Amino acid sequence: MEKVAIVGYNQVKLYSDANYGRYEMIFEAVRGALDNAGLKKKDITTVVSATNDYYDGRTISNSLTVEPGGGYLADESKVEMDGAHAVLYGLMRVLSGNHKLAVVWGGSMASSYPAHTVHLYETDPTWERPITYVSDITSAGFQMRAYMEKYGISAEEIAKTAVKNRKNAVNNPLALAEAQNPNITLKDVLESDIYSDPVTELMVAQPCDGVAALLLAPEKQAKKITDNPVWITGVGLSQETYYLGDRDLSTSKSMELAGKMAFQAAGINDPNTQIDVAELYEAFAHEELIFIESLGIAEKGKGADLNAEIGGDFPVNPSGGALGGNPLCATGLIRIIEAVKQIRGEAKGYQVKNVNKAIASGQIGMCSQNNILYVLEGDN
Amino acid sequence: MTEEKIVVANKGIIRAEFAFWVGQYMDKFYDALENKKIVGNKCPKCGDVFVPPRKICGKCNETIPLDQNWVDLPDTGILKNYTITYYKINDRASRKVKKPQIIGMVQIDGSSTSIVYRLLNIEPGEVKIGMKVKVNWEEATKGDPSDIKGFSKA
Amino acid sequence: MGRQVCIASAGFSEHASKRSDVSMPELVSEAIKDCLKNAPSIEINDIDMFVNGNMPAFEGANIPELWMTDWMGARNKPLMRVTTGGTTGGSVAIAGYYSVASGLPGVDTVLAIAFEQQSQGDTATGLASVAYGEISVLNSLGIPYDQLTLLFSAGAAIGVASYQATNYMRKSKTTEEDLARVVVQNRHNAAKTWWAHLKMPNLTIEEVLDTPYISYPLRYGMVCPASDGACAMLFTTEEKAKDMCDIPVYVNGVGSIATETGILGYCGSGSGQLDPSEQLGAQKTSDVAFQQAGISFPRKEIDYAEVYSPFPNQELMWVEKLGLFEENTASEMYETGVTALNGELPINCSGGVNSTNAIGASAMERPAVAALQIMGKASNQVPETVHTSLGHGWGGYINLITMMVMADEPARKFK
Repeated sequence: MEKVAIVGYNQVKLYSDANYGRYEMIFEAVRGALDNAGLKKKDITTVVSATNDYYDGRTISNSLTVEPGGGYLADESKVEMDGAHAVLYGLMRVLSGNHKLAVVWGGSMASSYPAHTVHLYETDPTWERPITYVSDITSAGFQMRAYMEKYGISAEEIAKTAVKNRKNAVNNPLALAEAQNPNITLKDVLESDIYSDPVTELMVAQPCDGVAALLLAPEKQAKKITDNPVWITGVGLSQETYYLGDRDLSTSKSMELAGKMAFQAAGINDPNTQIDVAELYEAFAHEELIFIESLGIAEKGKGADLNAEIGGDFPVNPSGGALGGNPLCATGLIRIIEAVKQIRGEAKGYQVKNVNKAIASGQIGMCSQNNILYVLEGDN
Repeated sequence: MTEEKIVVANKGIIRAEFAFWVGQYMDKFYDALENKKIVGNKCPKCGDVFVPPRKICGKCNETIPLDQNWVDLPDTGILKNYTITYYKINDRASRKVKKPQIIGMVQIDGSSTSIVYRLLNIEPGEVKIGMKVKVNWEEATKGDPSDIKGFSKA
Repeated sequence: MGRQVCIASAGFSEHASKRSDVSMPELVSEAIKDCLKNAPSIEINDIDMFVNGNMPAFEGANIPELWMTDWMGARNKPLMRVTTGGTTGGSVAIAGYYSVASGLPGVDTVLAIAFEQQSQGDTATGLASVAYGEISVLNSLGIPYDQLTLLFSAGAAIGVASYQATNYMRKSKTTEEDLARVVVQNRHNAAKTWWAHLKMPNLTIEEVLDTPYISYPLRYGMVCPASDGACAMLFTTEEKAKDMCDIPVYVNGVGSIATETGILGYCGSGSGQLDPSEQLGAQKTSDVAFQQAGISFPRKEIDYAEVYSPFPNQELMWVEKLGLFEENTASEMYETGVTALNGELPINCSGGVNSTNAIGASAMERPAVAALQIMGKASNQVPETVHTSLGHGWGGYINLITMMVMADEPARKFK
C-alpha cells in the first residue's frame, strides 16, 4: 500500500450536554486540526464527514454541515457510519492520487436525540422493530451473557475493564467528565443499576456530545507538513450477519476478519508482540475483552488475564476508550487520534512508553456488527 | 462559549408515518402466525431452517424459491440466551420501569436460528439457558409479530 | 498513486410507485442479481467490498444495510455506507470508484448499490425538513416555527425547482412548451427502458400542458414520480474487467462539489448563492471531472449524457451548465432533435429522473446507464457507438453535484 499519513488532528472536549451548537463544535474540531498541522482552509482538497440523520434529527443533515467542516466548494462526500469509516473513505481518496490533503471529521450530539430509540430504527422493521425486544440495550445483555457462558468468565473480570478505562479517563483532559472516576472500584461497577442483566450502567460507554477531525496526506506532502507523520500501514473492515440469533455473540467475527485484513496489509503476524498499544471502540466493557481475543492478542476466553493497564504487557485504551465518552460518529475517529497521540508521544498524562506501532478501531451496529481496524506506525 | 441563555424555544412534533412492505416470504409467515402456527423455510444447499423465513441464505448466498422448501415447525423451543432489563423503548422515547422484563433468545425446535421474545410467568432466578420453552399465543391474533405474546416454561 | 478503475456491469430492479411485493432487502437483491447477470463470469462471493447508500429518513430505517447484510451477499465482507441526500446514488458510485482506485490490499472488485423504497414512508415530510433549511437561522430572522409552513420558503424540491425554473426561463427565454417537450422525450424514452417507471410512449406536448400547475411554471404532467427501486454497479480493476465483460468502461473523471451551507446563504436556505439557476457547484464539478478525464470540449467529446433532472427545466439548465451546450441554447437542441436517440448528443435515453425517481438510486442510475451505453448493453441503446459518456447527479440538500465521466479508453496512465 502506498504511504499515507495522519498529519494533524483535533478533538473537542466531550460533554454530556455541551453548551454550544453543532456548527461551532464542528468548526472547532476542523479548524483545530488544520491549526495542529499548520495548514489553511485553502490547502484542503477533499473533505469526508461522518454523521447520521437520526442522531442529528433531520434529513440530509450532512449537507448543512459542509460549511463548518471546511467543505464549501470542495470535492467532498459523506459517510453515514462511524468516524473511523470516514477515515477509510478519506484514505481511499488520497490513495487514488486525486487528492493531496483530506479532512475527515465526524460526530454527533447525544444531548439532542432520544437515547436508544435512534438505535431502534436500525432494527428489522418487518419483524423485530414493532415488538422492540431487540434493542441496543437487550443486545448488550445477550452479548455479555454469551461471552460469560461460553468461557466461564465472571462479571468481576469484566468489571475490571470498566474500572481500568474509567480511571484512565481521569488523565485524559478531553474525556467526558462523568466518565472520569478516579476512585471507582469493582464493587461500584457491579452494584451500579442494571442496564440489561448482566450489563450494569457503569459498564456502558455513555453516548455524549463531541466532534473530532483529522488530516490525511500522501507521503511527499506529509513529510513537508509535519516532522511527525503517523503512517496508516493497514486497514481492514468487515460486517457480520445481522440477526442476533444467527451470530455467535461470544466472539466478534467482524473484528477477527477486520484484523486479518489489516494485519496482512501491515505485515503483522503476531499482534501481541508487534503492536505496542491498542485504542479500541468498546461500546461495553465486555466488548474490549471480546475484541482482543478476536484479534488474536489474547487467547479465546483469556482476555481478562491480559494486563491491559498503561504500564502493563499490552496497554488497551490508555485514553479511557469509549467508556471515557462515546460521541457517536466520532468515537472510532477519536480512537485513531488517541493512537496517533501515543505514537507521537503527545498523550500527556497517559502516555505509554516506546510506542511505534498501534492499532485503533471503530464500529457500528448492534453488538459491533461492523468493525474497522487500522494499523498505525511512526517513523522510528 | 458564553453563559447559557435561551433565546428562542420551539416545541413541536413533526409526524412522519412509515409502513413497511414485508415481502412475500414474511407474508406467508404472518399468515401462519395468524393461525397460531410457525413456519420456516429451508436452504436447499446447506439445509439451515430459518424462522422467520428468508429469500436468501446468508451462508450460501443461495436464493430459496418462494414456493418451495417450507417447513412446518412446532411452537416449542430451547432458550439459548436471555437478559433482564428495566428499560422500555418505543419509537418516541425510552424509560425505566419498576418491573423488569426478561427477554430471551429462543431457538424453535427444528430451526437453525433464534428469535427474540419476552419470557413470561417466570422469575429471573428460575431462568436457565437450555430450558425448554413454548409459545404463549395471543387470544386474538392479527398476523403480526405480537401474535406471539412471549415464551414460557414448557 | 492509484490505478485504473473500470465498470464491468450495472443492473436494476423494476421500478414502480409501490413495489409492495418485496421488502427492502429483497428489492436490493433484485438489482444485484441483474447486475451480476450482466457479468456472468463472476458470482457474489467474488465481490471484495460493498458500498451502499439510500436516504434513510425516507423509509424510516437507520443504516438499513445492517439489516440487509445477507440479502446483499455481504456477510463477512467489508461494507461502507455513503449518503448524500438526493445525490446518494452518485456518491455511492463515486465511492465505489475510489474503493478500487485506492488499491487497498484485498479490494479489487467492489459492488456499489443504491436504493429507495419510498412508498414505505412520507417523502413529503422528509423533504419538508430539508426545504426549511436551517430552522435555527430562520428563527433568528424572526420567523417562528409554526409559521414556517406558511412561509414555505422552498416547498420541498418542487419549490427549489420552481425558483431554478423562473430564473432560468427569464435568462434563456425558454417557454412552457419547451419544458413540455423535454418531458415528452423523456417519457417516450422510458417506454423503451425495461426498468423505468413512467412509460408513456404516446404522450404529447398538449397533454402535458393540459395539467394544472403545482408551482409555476411546473405542472403535474411535468414532474417526476416517486418510485421504489434499486440499482447496482460493479467496479473493478482494468485487468479483471477485461475478463468480466467485452467492453470495460474506464472511469476517467469524478467530481462531487457543492455550494451547500447551513448558516450562510440565502435565508438559511442551504445555498451559498442568490440565483438558484447559477449552479456554481455544477460548473466546478464538471471542471474537475472533465480535467481528470482529459476533456476540453465536452460538446464535441461527449457522445452521450445522463443528467439528473426530476423537472424538465433542470435538464435544460444542466446540459448548459455541464458544458454540453452553449448557454441559453438548450431548448433549441431539444427542438431540433440534437438530444434524441439518434441525434448528435443523445441525452437521457433511459427516460431520466423525470420518468423514474427512486431518490437514493436515481443518481446512480445516471452513470449506470451512461456506462451501459458505452458497453452497448443499455435498454434503450443509442445506435451510434458511444465512446465517452457522463452520468450526473444533483441533490444533496439542493446543491451537491456529482459527476462521473467514462470512456472505452483510459485517460490517464498509472505507474
